[in-house]
Formats: sequence, C-alpha cells, structure tokens
Amino acid sequence: MTAPLLEVRHLRVEFPTRRGTLVAIDDVSFDIAPGEVLGVVGESGAGKSITGAAIIGLIEPPGRIAGGEILLEGRRIDDLPPAEMRRVRGRRIGAIFQDPLTSLNPLYTVGRQLVETIQTHLDLSAAQARARAVDLLRSTGIPAAEARIDHYPHQFSGGMRQRVVIALALAAEPRLIVADEPTTALDVSIQAQIIALLKTLCREHGTAVMLVTHDMGVIAETADRVAVMYAGRIAEIGPVADVIHRPKHPYTVGLMGSIPSVGDARERLAQIDGAMPRLNAIPRGCAFNPRCPRAFDACRDRRPDLVAVGDSRAACWLHDPTLAPRGVAA
Amino acid sequence: MSRPSDETVVRAPSAAAGAPLVVADDLAKVFDVSPPWLNRVIERKPRALLRAVDGVSFEIARGETLALVGESGCGKSTVARLLVGLYAPSRGRATFEGVDIATLGTASGRPLRAKLQMIFQDPYASLNPRWKVLDIIAEPIRVHRLIAGEGAIRARVEQLLQHVGLGAADVEKYPHQFSGGQRQRLSIARALASQPQFLVCDEPTSALDVSVQAQVLNLMREIQRADRLTYLFISHNLAVVHHVSDRVGVMYLGRIVELAPKRTLFATPRHPYTRMLLDAIPDIQMTGKPRTPVAGEVPNPLDPPTGCSFHPRCPLADARCRAERPALRVLADGARVACHAVEDGRG
Repeated sequence: MTAPLLEVRHLRVEFPTRRGTLVAIDDVSFDIAPGEVLGVVGESGAGKSITGAAIIGLIEPPGRIAGGEILLEGRRIDDLPPAEMRRVRGRRIGAIFQDPLTSLNPLYTVGRQLVETIQTHLDLSAAQARARAVDLLRSTGIPAAEARIDHYPHQFSGGMRQRVVIALALAAEPRLIVADEPTTALDVSIQAQIIALLKTLCREHGTAVMLVTHDMGVIAETADRVAVMYAGRIAEIGPVADVIHRPKHPYTVGLMGSIPSVGDARERLAQIDGAMPRLNAIPRGCAFNPRCPRAFDACRDRRPDLVAVGDSRAACWLHDPTLAPRGVAA
Repeated sequence: MSRPSDETVVRAPSAAAGAPLVVADDLAKVFDVSPPWLNRVIERKPRALLRAVDGVSFEIARGETLALVGESGCGKSTVARLLVGLYAPSRGRATFEGVDIATLGTASGRPLRAKLQMIFQDPYASLNPRWKVLDIIAEPIRVHRLIAGEGAIRARVEQLLQHVGLGAADVEKYPHQFSGGQRQRLSIARALASQPQFLVCDEPTSALDVSVQAQVLNLMREIQRADRLTYLFISHNLAVVHHVSDRVGVMYLGRIVELAPKRTLFATPRHPYTRMLLDAIPDIQMTGKPRTPVAGEVPNPLDPPTGCSFHPRCPLADARCRAERPALRVLADGARVACHAVEDGRG
C-alpha cells in the first residue's frame, strides 16, 4: 500500500466567541491517497468547508486549529509560518472555490493572473510562463485560448470562469486540489462539463482531489471514497458505492433516502425530522441521537468513534457488538 | 417575423376533467435594458430588449402540479411572476378561472388576489425580520379581511403553524429564531393564510439542504392533498421536478421547447435539449452510462440565435433549424415538442 498523500489526524478547529468557544471540527481524521478523489458531504454547518480551509491554511481568524495535525507527503503543514504556507498553497495544494468570480481579480486579465501564479511557483521566463498559461487554458477546453488569455474575468461566462479557476489551480502542478463546491454556482449542463473536466485533468496529472459538496450526485459520479460529516465530525467514511448503496450510519441512511432521484417512484421522500444542532448546542453522546430512529441508551451517553463496518467505517454504537441491543448491527 | 406560437396555441384538454384552473396564452415579457437616453444619443448605443418570456402557452388543471424547468435565464421565474400579477405581460394573457390575472391590481381583482399566492426561493429574504411570526402570517388575513377580531386571527395563525409542522407557541417569535427549513414552512403558512387555490412556488427548496428539502417537499405534497391546491413549481433540479410534478414544461431562452406528462417526458424525452438536460443530471444511482459531453452554453438572451434558439448546441441542427423557429406541436401521445428534427423524424 502506498503512503497517503495527505493525512489529517485528530483535527480540531475552534472559534472563540464572547459566549464561549465553538468547536466547528471535533476530532476528524482521514487520509487521501495520491491520485484519489475523496468526496466530503454534509449539510450546511457540518464542517466540511472548514475542514477544507484548515488543509489549505485559510481558516479565518479568530478561528484556529486547536488540536491535531495535518501532514502532506509526511511533512506537517498545519504549523507552518504564513510565508511558508503560502509556498505550499498553490505549489503543492491547489484550491477551487464555489464562486469563480470571487476567486479571480477583476482588474487583471486572466493571462496575467495565470502567469503570476506560474512564475511564483515555477522557475520559468515570462514567455515560457505565458506559453504554459495558454496550454493550461486550452486543456480546460476554453476555445481560442491564445486570444482569450488577454480577456478580463467579466468577459467570461460562469462556466468559462470556473475553467479559468481550474487552470489556475493546476498551474503549478499541485499534488492535491481542495475543491469547495466547485459546481454549485453553475447550471446543470455546465456542471456536468466541469465535473468531467476536473476528473480528466486530475487523472492526467495524477492529482488527488478533496471534493467538498452537498450534492450526492456529484460525489457519486466523481469520488472514489466519501466522508459524510455531521455536526463537526465524520459520521461515516468509505468507498463511494458502499456509502451510497449500503450506508452504515443511520444519518447516512436518512440522507440517502431524502434525495429525490429521477426513476424513483416514491410518494414520500424519507425524512429525517428536526435539524442539525447548532454548534453551541451539540447534544451529549452521539450528536445525531435526538434525530436518530435507532438511538438507544449508549447513544445518549457516550460519543461513538469510527469503527470498521465492512469496507466502510462508521461512528455509531449500533456497530459495537458489545453494546448494540439484540445484534441489530447491519 | 412570424409568430409561430400564435398558429400553434394548443388547447388540448388536460388529463384532469373540467376547465383548466390556470391558462397562459402566448405570454410574453420584454424588458427594456437599453442604456440611458443620453448614452444612446452620444455613444450611439442601440436600444436593447430582453425577451425574457417569448410566447409561452400552457394550462394547469385544478389539483395538478405543473413544473417548469430550465437553466438560469430561461425565463421560468419571469413566468412565475407573470402568473401572480407581479409583472404585466408585454403580450398574451394569463387567466385564473377565466379572469385575466392582469386585473389583479384593480379593486375588482382583490377577491381573486387571495386565491393566488407565491412562495419564494430565499426564506431569509422573503420574511420581514422586524415582524413577529403572528404579524407575518396574519398579514394576508388582515389585508383581505378574511377573519374579524384579533383573537380569531391569532387562533387561525396558530392553526396554520400547526398545519405546516410548527408549534402554536411560535407566533411570538421572530424569523431569525428559525432555521432555513422552518422559515420556508413559515412562508408556506403565510401563503396558505388567505386560503388560496393556486400556489406559485419559485425554487422553494433550492436554498435548503437535502434532508430539509425532503421535509418541505413532503409537506407541500400533504397540503396539496389536504387543501386540493394547484401548483406551478419552478425549479432547475430535474430530480425534484420528477418527484413533485404531474406535467413538466422544459424552457429554453424564454420559450417552452417541450411540455409533457411527467412519465412521458422522463421516459421518452423528445427535444434534444430535454435529452441533454436529462443526460447531465449527476446520478446517485451510478449506472456508469457514458455521458455524452454537453457542448456549449446558453447563448446571450439579448442576442438570441436565429431560427431555433437551441441550434448552436444541437447535434441534430440543419439549415432549417438555423432559419426557421420551430412551433410547439402535439405528438400522438400528447407530448408537445418544438423541434424540426423531431417533426422530420431525424431525432
């Protein structure tokens, strides 16, 4: 087995507020292998974007990493000074955000932004950098790349802008790309193009991707493995087919059942009653227990950790043979 | 320029018996987005007209859900606003029980106004943050003078809150005390307050998380059954549309390109654009079907292509498609499709 590209160990992210400290990420651990696509799903406030921000070192103060460590190719990156982290970001970890307009500087041509990024990270002359920029734009499927390179971001459509952002993220050949809701702002027909593009380019370059999204459809088509987050913790992590078709955690079961799908003739969607708890009111025991149809005593009392269930791992007492009532583990 | 929508106004009776509750007849809305007069004179900039909706006809039977789908800028939200009288049509008309919706703004239109309500996409923007829930939900009751006496109004609001799965004690709260899904329930309660027959829902679950979306969709279905409501459901999400609708209209650049019963549309999509959209849905079933890459993007609505506006992206386009705009025609199974290729059997 190859060494993981990225290791996240017991990550804890806190946001101090006047009324006490909010724990946004609470003891999250996972790996990403070289070239692997890891999907991270969850609802608003589950902590998926903050996990991504922690990896690229962009947690907004006063938020801070309060515990655990993040290792890229075996080297710790969570404690690097800002100047050094800036070199890692872009060179070894690329980032793609939801809104392509806010990721681009409206006052510079896309060419200038690409050339700047390339020259910051790679030792190339201006002419070489520009040639590389044109190649990158062309590889993302932008027609007439030689001419388009001198255009400003507002002259591109939403889908084309996201292609420019992907070109920027790939400019320095990073080993990992953190993509936070890269297709959420786009229309469905464009969304499919961008996902296909991201997949192809990352396969060609051997780039690993951490794909943060709330859209299970996107995950199903793109990811190798998927982590389901709930209230700042990973509820379940495993191969994408297992998590979608054989979910182990009751939250994942409810989440999958609540997704309408073309070709399913159900009258009612499965429904998880209630809402995810706020960060200042996370219940004792398993955070999901007040909404869980299968909760029992242990769930209200003790917090479950991830345990192996088949090919996946789930944080649920149902899968603990010593606790689960009447061997309900399934 | 010919107006094909005129020659093909389809008045096929819908599946449900009786006269349709809502009829849109060649509806059009043109927005003048020209630069200011001075710029036009000095810089010789031309007038610019945006045909947001350009000849849309359909009917909705009582108790039915018609969904309109399409990508950003296709005009689906403009249709929604035309149907509740928030915009006046530039051409054509929309009627509710035979009465022109454009008369809603007049005094004689007031009784009708109570029967049409709208639910908006963003539950954070559509509720007044300074009003208590009681006042938000009682507003339609007070405006239309449906119930007399504060005690009776309060009782009705409490009943409405329970109807949408909230608590009677919530009347004293403010919108910020509710989550996104609960706010959308408040919007639904407010829409139901005037005992409407027809609800226009513009992307009602697009701002919500999937598990909350499921709660709201289930609720909308329950109240449709209980109150015998008719829905116009606007969405860009085909899976949601598949779940809620009886019939589906697919819009592209201001026009309906295909309109068919849900089963027909999803089983045998005819229009190349419909097929492309269905093909583009990311699928959690992971059938592994190779996806035909979709070429191109929606053209600029200020400068739509000639002929069929989909022709630059269409794999079946020929000379006729580039020159002549296709009319919406009825096929044998009741589906209506505006496509030369389908008509010529090239599809």
